[in-house]
Amino acid sequence: MHKQTALLNLSWEQRRKLTGLLFVLPTVAFVTVFFIIPLIMTIYMSFHDWPLFGERAHIGLENYQELGKDRQYLKSLDFTFRYTALVTPPIFILGFILASLVRRNIPYIGIFRTIFFLPVVIGLGVSSLLWVWMLDDRIGVFNKILLDLNLVPKAQLFLGRPNTAMNVIILSVVWKTVGFTMILLLAGLQAIPDELYESAEVDGAGYFRKLIYITLPLMRRFIALALILSVIGSVLSFDQFYIMTRGGPRNSTISIVFWIFNNSFTYFKMGYGAAMSIVLLGILVALTGLQLYVLREKD
Amino acid sequence: MYSRKSIQLVLALVLILGSLPLAAQDDQINMTMWVRAINFQTQELVDQWNANNDSQIELTVIPSGEFVTKMGAAIAAGEPPDIASIDLIYTPAFASAGQLVDITEFVRALPYADDLTPAHMNLGLYEGRNYAVPTAVDGSFMAFNVDLFEQAGLDPENPPSNWDEFLEAARAINDLGDDIYGYWFSMGCAGCNAFTFLPFIWASGGDVLSDDYSEATIADDPIVREALELYNTIWEEGLVPEGASIDNGSNFVSAFTGGNIGMAPLGNFALSLFYNDHPDLNFDIFHIPGKDGGAASFGGGDVIAIPSGTEHAEEAWRFIEWTMSDDPQIEIYAANGQIPVRLALVDNKYFEGDERQSIAASALAVGHTPYTTVYNDLFNDPNGPWLEMLQVAILDGDIDGALELGQERFTQIMEG
Repeated sequence: MHKQTALLNLSWEQRRKLTGLLFVLPTVAFVTVFFIIPLIMTIYMSFHDWPLFGERAHIGLENYQELGKDRQYLKSLDFTFRYTALVTPPIFILGFILASLVRRNIPYIGIFRTIFFLPVVIGLGVSSLLWVWMLDDRIGVFNKILLDLNLVPKAQLFLGRPNTAMNVIILSVVWKTVGFTMILLLAGLQAIPDELYESAEVDGAGYFRKLIYITLPLMRRFIALALILSVIGSVLSFDQFYIMTRGGPRNSTISIVFWIFNNSFTYFKMGYGAAMSIVLLGILVALTGLQLYVLREKD
Repeated sequence: MYSRKSIQLVLALVLILGSLPLAAQDDQINMTMWVRAINFQTQELVDQWNANNDSQIELTVIPSGEFVTKMGAAIAAGEPPDIASIDLIYTPAFASAGQLVDITEFVRALPYADDLTPAHMNLGLYEGRNYAVPTAVDGSFMAFNVDLFEQAGLDPENPPSNWDEFLEAARAINDLGDDIYGYWFSMGCAGCNAFTFLPFIWASGGDVLSDDYSEATIADDPIVREALELYNTIWEEGLVPEGASIDNGSNFVSAFTGGNIGMAPLGNFALSLFYNDHPDLNFDIFHIPGKDGGAASFGGGDVIAIPSGTEHAEEAWRFIEWTMSDDPQIEIYAANGQIPVRLALVDNKYFEGDERQSIAASALAVGHTPYTTVYNDLFNDPNGPWLEMLQVAILDGDIDGALELGQERFTQIMEG
């Protein structure tokens, strides 16, 4: 009897806290099992020589010291950030233009929203394969168009040269992801009351003044969200490089996650892969913190 | 009148009896077998086995480039296949990690143990114990299109025997027309070029690894540079189609079957495809030549092994032993143009009178197979130093840079 009354004797405040705890418990459990525990395991592994199979040995910080000497690791970091810097602006500019185009609720606008969003629904693996075929030198549609318009003298091997490979992959990723950014920005655009624009128009503001003084400041939160998601996605990119170029040509398109995958599962150096993952996690946390700081609400 | 209960009882009995054969099937041994993509005879071996035995084998084809990664992951997850047809080159890596069943006693009991192809048996050895036996014998050689040779005024009876003659032949065929090319290589495929480009170096007395496989000799051996220069010339002069530069191996064989390629370095696995799917292809073969003569071949192919952790090791061996017996070796291997894994069976009714088969088989005599546990990291990995070195040297023409890069990254990997 005592136990039951103990529970009933809780004050209202205490019971409220208990209820709250029960509500977040599933999330806490989920995050613990799928994030906290793997994270701790990864940190633990990073201090070991941990082959995929065979004997393990504690080696302290050796994996981390190795990173500085790994030419491909540094090359991959450089490549990944160059890729992120190049792919983010087109996604945002195009996403914003598309969001502006489909903003108003006019008849049949849903059709266009759907068309622009459709590539997002395709898996990245599938879309990468699709682009490999479209970019092919013998049967690809791009070469057919360029040849028919006499823009190129002969079929181009887009994925065969380091700089064109990077450019066409960026093109494919923009096509694939711009719809998602569009939806996030569209939500931001639609949250801005029309009255603000109307009064600005009365005051004689043109399109760019409205954009700079009303639209962009009021969309700050949505831009921050879209930017963080997009940058994280780009830094962690893997599929498109694995499928479209296999890291080539001349190993010029090996992203950082690609290199972690190679070390862990092809060279069987799980410990080294874990150390790289931890460093990458640190970089991403710093990067996200920076973005949140820059785009913070000023008031 | 039957009571409802008795009907239910009968129904229950019927259900139980009906499920008995199912229960019996559960006792049957079901095995999984993994094979990399290009083995021609494996499907037929498995089909025949399944038709004539209680135990059943399910065959899964794993793309060559991903075999080590997938196999490693499966072993680590505790779910390896019961039987694995492995590129012989990977056997030291898997055996040294303790991931293959020791089959020394089984092998010793074979009456023809000494007759099995030596390269495969050697690669299947680790610390004096046997871990694998041969299942596909595959030496590299040069295939050439006889019709194009004749059109270009070359003598198909006297194919090139050194690099100069080889280059001249490629040029002569290339001049036949815009869509005709002298040569083919798959310069996006790491393994293809280990199989076909290393023999150019070996045949000239050079190597990229020291004799005891302990260090890289890329920067010191002048032959490596000269071989890269040869391929660079082929590329610069346009003797291969431009698409060859990014081919990841998917056209390794099929490029030659188009009939517009003069010469292509291939292996035994291609012969069975040519015989079966392209009977009209007028081709012949010669050994991959050295700079001033000589010949070499990569002694490749697959071994068959039993991964540790299987519950069916005995039954798996029963299958493996059967694949090496007379009937499948003649009626499945030789009949499909595949070299038998037992040397005494190379003289058989199917190979009689086909000179191409005897040249292909003799390629094994000049065959060479590196023994290293890091073979995949060095050569076959699409992002490894071997392919990058070739691409930088051959496609970019930066031979000094390529040699330096190759030497450095090879050394890094071999030192662990």
